Amino acid sequence: MEPAPHILVVDDDREIRDLLSRFLEKQGMRVTAARDAREARRVWPLGRYNLVVLDLMMPGEPGLDFARWLRAQSDVPIVILTAMGEETDRIVGLELGADDYVAKPFNPRELLARIRAVLRRAGGEGPVREPPAKVIRFAGWTLEPARRRLLNPEGAEVSLTGGEYELLLVLVERPNRVLTRDMLMDLLRGRQAGPFDRAIDVAVSRLRRKLEDDGRNPTLIKTVRGGGYVLAATVERG
Amino acid sequence: MAEARALGPDRAAEAAAREPVRGVLRRVRLPASLGGRTAFWLIVALMAVQAAGLTIHALDRVDLQRFIHAREIAGRAFGAWRTALLAPPDRREQMLADFDLPDGLRVELSDTPSVRPGAPPPPPHVVRLFRLDLLGGGSPRFRPREVRLAAVGAGGFAAALRLPDGEWLNLRVETPPPRPWHSATFLAAFVVMTVAAVLLILWAVARLMRPVRLLAAAADRLGRDVNAPPLPETGPSEVATAARAFNRMAERIRRFVADRTQMLAAIGHDLRTPITRLRLRAEFMEDEEQRRKMLADLDEMEQMISATLAFARDDAAAEPAAPIDLAALCRTVADEAADAHPERAEAIGYEGPERLVLRARPVALKRAVANLVSNALAYGGAARLRLHPPAAGVVRLEVEDDGPGIPEVELEAVFTPFRRLEASRNRETGGTGLGLTIARNIFRAHGGDVVLRNRAGGGLTAVVSLPV
Repeated sequence: MEPAPHILVVDDDREIRDLLSRFLEKQGMRVTAARDAREARRVWPLGRYNLVVLDLMMPGEPGLDFARWLRAQSDVPIVILTAMGEETDRIVGLELGADDYVAKPFNPRELLARIRAVLRRAGGEGPVREPPAKVIRFAGWTLEPARRRLLNPEGAEVSLTGGEYELLLVLVERPNRVLTRDMLMDLLRGRQAGPFDRAIDVAVSRLRRKLEDDGRNPTLIKTVRGGGYVLAATVERG
Repeated sequence: MAEARALGPDRAAEAAAREPVRGVLRRVRLPASLGGRTAFWLIVALMAVQAAGLTIHALDRVDLQRFIHAREIAGRAFGAWRTALLAPPDRREQMLADFDLPDGLRVELSDTPSVRPGAPPPPPHVVRLFRLDLLGGGSPRFRPREVRLAAVGAGGFAAALRLPDGEWLNLRVETPPPRPWHSATFLAAFVVMTVAAVLLILWAVARLMRPVRLLAAAADRLGRDVNAPPLPETGPSEVATAARAFNRMAERIRRFVADRTQMLAAIGHDLRTPITRLRLRAEFMEDEEQRRKMLADLDEMEQMISATLAFARDDAAAEPAAPIDLAALCRTVADEAADAHPERAEAIGYEGPERLVLRARPVALKRAVANLVSNALAYGGAARLRLHPPAAGVVRLEVEDDGPGIPEVELEAVFTPFRRLEASRNRETGGTGLGLTIARNIFRAHGGDVVLRNRAGGGLTAVVSLPV
């Protein structure tokens, strides 16, 4: 059995810190909590953390500065907590190298799902993790993870649902590799409720439509016989 | 009683007489603009002054004309008398006939006087004007043997002068009517003066009104954008003062809006922490049913806060515009709504082109469309989006539901903030009463609009128009 992932929670509210620690521990994780950036710096060398949950809205040193410092120390995955509506903070945070974000007031289960997804992505890529890309280009299309947006070859934004975005991200991170429904389910688990294999087929057909990929004769997201999908494109990260 | 009855018709007649005057006044509509009115009254005043000036001038002219004329007549009349006196009696007639007489003077020789004794004498101003008092004076050689005077008309006279041989010289003087407007240059001068003055007035008024127009434009701009640039505080002192006052007012409004926004943001921020705590606490609740309900309540609360914040901050204004595919956006909103309401997935759909690119603020526009969809779902149980390709530079998007519709008189009222129809308050539809308001604000910020329409067959349609 895998060792329990060790999470560092940095949040200025004591109640939230305690409750979140208990919640994550209940889900089988080890948690260390820090009150602010100073305490986080102090506990950082004391453990090997698999992931940091960082509140950007803290008194004292701004969360963004701490995220920058943290990135300089290691490529530990970071999930940032942002205030709703604070688009700029979120974008700056993601561009600094945070792996994902959850808007406050967050749903604990959604946070848990994001944490698991980020851990899975980080773990799956081997010991040297690729830093999150600012832009990902494939077949003329551009995906900007920090802004969660997709631009078509003409530069117009094509909006995606949460499910479509997650699926596309998983696909472009593994181009030209066959991903079975099981693998996709595993990579996307927690993101969507409901029966997953059906949801994945639906999400793929929706995504093909957005990418102007003919569902009957797809050239971009190809169906592999025996139940799987593959993104047939050269992917550039920058 | 009798008096009252007698007064009655009189008053009625008076009123009737006044009525057409008032009717005419009402028909003569004053110009709508301040500049127009100022120019109008200035021109009316100018006309009055012109008329008065011209009248004074004409009267002067008439006086002078009459004086010169009278002097000429008097001189010639004396000339005629001298000729008659000095000419030999047999040639008198001939010489007088050769005499060049001015208008209004008639001279004849006769055996009888033209003035009967006892005729009314000419009035004193005629006597003065024609120096008739001199007739009886002068050297005795030229003095008539007898003078008889009589008035003719208002300004004329008849005189009968007896020559030494007993014949009479009859004079008849009739002053011609005055011709005050008799001048070729007069009309031209009048027209040139009037046109020049009117042009000057129009120019001056336009110049005078420019600051007022600027102020109106600035007020209008402030209505749409609180952060519009201030007015220049220059120009004449009244204008500068008005501009300063306006800028101060704009500054106060800006501060007020900023304070309010700050306050709402602070409330929203402060509520985030307790909601997060409650959500976490709910995860430790044993009772699954209660936990689910509590989380649903918290979701609703969060939605209200985020809607209020979005409304207060007017996020749409801050977001930069970029090209976006509206068809994909509609599809995303429909799919997300279907994912959130799987039981209604069949009643949610999109129909329209595969692609439709326009420039817009992506996050704001998505919120606006999503608000229309969630409104349709909440009150109409369905949300069918229909996008029409651009026609005449405008894209139309319709969101249909299957609800009971809205009374015609309420179709506009539901766009007012926090306005909800009486019927919906008792239903478990929730919502903040801001969804439609925010949607309309966003569409309007894009230069478009949204209106609601009841469909003939039942159901409500939200019709969005957006410029391409």
